[in-house]
Amino acid sequence: MRSALAQSRQVTGKVISAADRQPLPGAIISVRGSDQKAVTDNDGKFSISAPANSTFVIRFIGFLDQEVKSTSSVLNVSLVENSSSLNEVVVTGLASSIKRSNLANAVSSISAKDLMGSTTPQTVDKALYGKLSGANIRANGGAPGGGLSVQLRGISSLQGASQPLYIIDGVYLNNNSLRNGKSNAIGIASPTQDDSQNRLADINPDDIENIEVLKGSSASAIYGTRANAGVIIITTKKGKAGKSRISFSQDVGIAKVQRYMGSADWDEAKIKLFFPAARQAEEIAKYNEAKSSGNIYDLEKILYGETPVITNSRLNISGGNERTTFYVSGNISSEGGVIKNTDFKRKSLRVNLDHKLNEWLNFSLNSNYLNTNSNRGVTGNGTASMGYTAAYIPNYFNPYPDAAGKYPNSPYSADNPLALRDKGKNNESINRFIESGSAVARIFQTDKSLLKLLVQGGVDYYAGQTFVYMPEDLQSQVAQANPGDLFIGKNNNINTNLQAFLVYTHKNNDFSFSSQLGSVYLKTKEDAIITRGRGLVAKQTTIPQAAVQEIFLQNKQEVEDFGLVAQQEVNYKDRIIGTVGVRFDKSTLNGDANKYYAFPKASLAINLTNFDFWKLDVVSQFKLRTAYGQTGGLATYGNVFSALNPVVNDGKIGSVLSTAAGNSAIKPERAGEIEFGTDLGLFNNRLSFEFTYYNKKVTDLIQDLNLSYSSGLLTKKVNAADLTNRGIELSVGGTPVSTQAFTWTSRLLFWRNRTKLTRLNIPSYLSGAFGTPYGTYLYKEGYSPTTIVGASETSSGVYTVWGDSQPDFETSLTNDFTFLKNYTLSFLLHWKKGGDNINTTLYNTDNGGTTVDWNEDYNNDGVPNGKDRPGKGGAGVYVQDASYLRLREVSLYYNVPLRGVDKWVSAVKVGISANNLFTVTKYKGYDPEVSNFGTQAINTGTDLFPYPSVKRYFLHFKFDF
Amino acid sequence: MNKFSYILFAVVLLNSCKLDDQLDPNNPSVSSVTNNATVNQLQNLVTGLEVRSKAYIGTAANAYGVFGREIWYFNRTDARYNQFWLGQGGRKPNSTFFGVDGAFTAAYQTIKQGNLLISALANTSSVTDVQKHAYLGFAKTIQGYQYIIPANSQYENGIRIEVSDEQNPGPFVKYQPALTAIRKVLEDGYAELKQAGTVLPFTLSSGYAGFNTPDGLIKVNRALVARVAIYQKDWQGALDALSLSFFNIDGSLTAGPAHTFSAPPDTYNPLFYVLNASPATITVVHPSLIENALPGDLRVTSKFYKRTSVLTNTQGDVPLSSQYQDNRWATNSAPITYIKNEELVLIYAEASAQLQQFDNAVKAINRIRTAAGLSAYTGERSTSALITEILFQRRYSLWYEPAGHRWVDLRRYDRLSEIPVAGDNGTAFTQMETPINELNWDLYSR
Repeated sequence: MRSALAQSRQVTGKVISAADRQPLPGAIISVRGSDQKAVTDNDGKFSISAPANSTFVIRFIGFLDQEVKSTSSVLNVSLVENSSSLNEVVVTGLASSIKRSNLANAVSSISAKDLMGSTTPQTVDKALYGKLSGANIRANGGAPGGGLSVQLRGISSLQGASQPLYIIDGVYLNNNSLRNGKSNAIGIASPTQDDSQNRLADINPDDIENIEVLKGSSASAIYGTRANAGVIIITTKKGKAGKSRISFSQDVGIAKVQRYMGSADWDEAKIKLFFPAARQAEEIAKYNEAKSSGNIYDLEKILYGETPVITNSRLNISGGNERTTFYVSGNISSEGGVIKNTDFKRKSLRVNLDHKLNEWLNFSLNSNYLNTNSNRGVTGNGTASMGYTAAYIPNYFNPYPDAAGKYPNSPYSADNPLALRDKGKNNESINRFIESGSAVARIFQTDKSLLKLLVQGGVDYYAGQTFVYMPEDLQSQVAQANPGDLFIGKNNNINTNLQAFLVYTHKNNDFSFSSQLGSVYLKTKEDAIITRGRGLVAKQTTIPQAAVQEIFLQNKQEVEDFGLVAQQEVNYKDRIIGTVGVRFDKSTLNGDANKYYAFPKASLAINLTNFDFWKLDVVSQFKLRTAYGQTGGLATYGNVFSALNPVVNDGKIGSVLSTAAGNSAIKPERAGEIEFGTDLGLFNNRLSFEFTYYNKKVTDLIQDLNLSYSSGLLTKKVNAADLTNRGIELSVGGTPVSTQAFTWTSRLLFWRNRTKLTRLNIPSYLSGAFGTPYGTYLYKEGYSPTTIVGASETSSGVYTVWGDSQPDFETSLTNDFTFLKNYTLSFLLHWKKGGDNINTTLYNTDNGGTTVDWNEDYNNDGVPNGKDRPGKGGAGVYVQDASYLRLREVSLYYNVPLRGVDKWVSAVKVGISANNLFTVTKYKGYDPEVSNFGTQAINTGTDLFPYPSVKRYFLHFKFDF
Repeated sequence: MNKFSYILFAVVLLNSCKLDDQLDPNNPSVSSVTNNATVNQLQNLVTGLEVRSKAYIGTAANAYGVFGREIWYFNRTDARYNQFWLGQGGRKPNSTFFGVDGAFTAAYQTIKQGNLLISALANTSSVTDVQKHAYLGFAKTIQGYQYIIPANSQYENGIRIEVSDEQNPGPFVKYQPALTAIRKVLEDGYAELKQAGTVLPFTLSSGYAGFNTPDGLIKVNRALVARVAIYQKDWQGALDALSLSFFNIDGSLTAGPAHTFSAPPDTYNPLFYVLNASPATITVVHPSLIENALPGDLRVTSKFYKRTSVLTNTQGDVPLSSQYQDNRWATNSAPITYIKNEELVLIYAEASAQLQQFDNAVKAINRIRTAAGLSAYTGERSTSALITEILFQRRYSLWYEPAGHRWVDLRRYDRLSEIPVAGDNGTAFTQMETPINELNWDLYSR
């Protein structure tokens, strides 16, 4: 003993997180075979006395244990985060959180590292791709700034968008898409085809500490009447007591179109086949002239061939003391598009403050200002959209302007796509404040009991402006009676919410109880107005400069919800954890605004490994869990009204009966979900499995009862359908290797969902896309509403089933390798198997003579494909498998060793990464991920000249001070 | 302490949570007009009725015009107008036929609006009984006109007449019984107007200039009855109705009530297209109208505009082209007359020919021919020869009118085979199928 002590020496060092090189305060360092222990201070530093040749064990919650043999007197250790951190605390309710190991639901957590660790996401929802089992995420197109749909565990509503509820620091986040009039400006007049962003795009992903995803009703029941499609709870970063930290990071990148579709060649024989006799001579002459002078144009490359620059600068400062902590961040990002004159810009400023006022009261304030601005271009459906017009233009047409800057008219389409690109404008800009405040008061406290009052309130306010402009000299405008079309939209939205909860916890021997009782109030207000001017003075972009000025739409909405919540949790020694709860909700969106609807829940988790009888050490966790819960889905605004709409005739105002009959008996949709699962942790949770099965039944789905046309009305909203979503979610993850020299963490996710309409109390119907010639959706008992049917008609009203837009399954694989101490390589592969699209882009390029294989003749009938396909092969020709395998993210980072400069800089990291580097798919379109109709529950997956998707490449620099 | 604070908390919560009943902040409700409507509210419903009554044009004029090959409807980017409306490759109407529902629904929405006005009148004391007759007479005249539109497209598949209860629409009746019922609606309107005094208690648009008195509306009502009567082959009935209508063989051929159009918030004339422009969608004159025209026919030069460049359309089975577009509308605010004296003259000619009053028939034909710059009729004086001549004149005089004539005329005389469908690989339709919504409703409500 003496001699050992004599040999011992003082070892000092620092413990940091391998991922972000930040110090880890509170980590425990012990020496094998000795009682010596040390805890790191606020700067991650420690000092310990140890024998000369010892093995040190370093532990920190949420990280893998690390063993290091060392003879040196300096010991710097970096810890790797445990991908299955069972001890982390999961926020699951309005006023409650629970240790993951005690959780009865499969709640997916996405950490800051998952979100931002590899590459730079454009928007928060884009960062979730492949990282979330049970989620079907789909981009509407590739325009910078997004436009995304997230569906959790299948379809929860047949109307509206079936999108999850987003809560950010307790604030109900408005995730609407703005109506902008774009589709009217380019000749379609369909609000669902405006292709606008969903407003989650405003949020700076770098501010996010953690995202918890309550995927189904069993987990989200406590959120009640708006939680049918799941709840996504976003928590932003907070400061930590200790030394103030400054972190600056800069990304520089470029984007390229993912792929080109190509276009068919022309010759005299094709011109004779394609054009009517009266045009043939003229076209042949043009063709010959272009051919002889070598002026053949690839419109796709001209339109989509830009290499835009992406920059993203982030600065955050955090710190504080025992009583007050702060986190301040700023973000400026700018992303160009592969189409000239398109981009997305975001500026964000955030201050998060936490303060302990005294022993019994603390409060926090989160304040965020956001400004986004996007130019999205005129793409999508519309006779005067870029892709649409290009599809009808043969490659011997010269689209470029002449020396005087005048763009040639296209005799083949409504406009010249280059003129649309250079002159058409489609802009959205947003100024937004998201503010939240909360206070926790300890009203009553003893050794065993604690009564707390939690009060939380929040505001999400944004003022949006949309601007769509088609100048008077565009070909498509000259063809109008009043050339020049301008839509200016102003939109004010405010969500306010307030909640108060009493939480009482009590320990009694082996049992601990937690009771809560609370109330929740939410008010949403929207006031939108779009003005339109037609017949514009040259280059003028205000409504008074128009010959024809109109209020294109004005829409006011005000909705109030109120709910009461009660929940009781019992925990027996972390072995058996049971919860029951109920929420009563009412809303002005229901037929009866003051009728309460009850949403109960119950759950049970059993941790077998915590029982005394469990002896198998290799299994560190074995949990069986089950949960049941109900949630609601509200009617759309206005469903209860039978309105008289305004009309004007010859200068007089009139009232016409709306063709949508109101229903004053409309109820919320209701989902009830049961979930079973097991969590298994092996080798001290170094390897973990999670398996979940769920069965979610949604009843009272709101449907449009199509009235007899002869009634003079068209539809009435009724609660008339039920459906089920059944699915499995599987996760296997772990850290197979973890040494100081090499660490490998890996995670495999697999999920599938099956939807079936089990009751339809109205006649079976077809809806969505562009009808039976190309494929539309079947709503019929016994079928999934994602079933795609279309021509040909097999018997009266019955059409051939051509596909299903729901994927067979999705799976993703994430791998992180840390090697040579300072290098980290990560990649995320995402495979979606199955799920069909309705490819009406192909239909149009066939009609325009430009599909790449138009001239070929696959069926050898002497008629080229492009003449064979439209309208002849039934809808099946255009219903296509949209499976893909995509490398979502890949990155390589290097932590620059800091010798000599670490006084000023604590960490420097450089890296390269790429987004969507490759996609393997047989789908014949720019991207199998597409939705012409935006974010809708069913009517997704229609391909009609979307903004082409891009791949992005980045250089990253990060400095911590 | 615990229990007390829970209860206190709960009481505070429950007291604070009464939600206000939801009122539509954007629109008045139906109940606001069905409960003692004011004169202004009744005016709003009348104006609403006039607006609804013009909504059929966009679909009916184009679809029925294409079915009768008066026009082609060129859409650059949607092949369905050619594939389905032309019946290319033997395509036939079915219950989900592309793009035709608008005419059907617009007509019934007008009828519904008329019924709303009628029920508002039954529950108000704001106007006198005599004034009520004027409202009812106008409502029923418009309803009668609107029923004709689906009756003509559905033909022997029939339409519903009894539609006042939206949850229990009546049975389908075939074409002739439907016409009988339509005539009854118009007769009811006539009876109301006769008791309506001399002044209308509401204001109509300038499209009714010259007809905006009870007596004026009677003239419109009788003109519509004359149109229905020839569909019924009630030749004497047609002549009787004409005698009380605005029919005037020497008067202006263009006289008649019209739908008006204007800039937003009104709507534009849906048939207007800028001359020589190449917009994404445009109607063109069917080439057969040019080929079959008599030399010097002024209607050809005034109605058909010869473009500087040929319009082509490559959608559908065969490429199509035409050098002519509609020249009738000077501006996008030009009114569209829905029944005009020129039609009444031709109805007079037709009924006279059928009743073998050949002098009257020829006189009317020559009124039309002279106006068109053509020489007087020199052909045979027989019913069949005169009907052929009248159908020819109707083809040019009533070309591409809002509720369609050519298709209906050829069907009336069993001449659908004369529709020139060979040039577009198309099919001549007899009638539309009953829309799926009607079939489904019967299944649902059974």
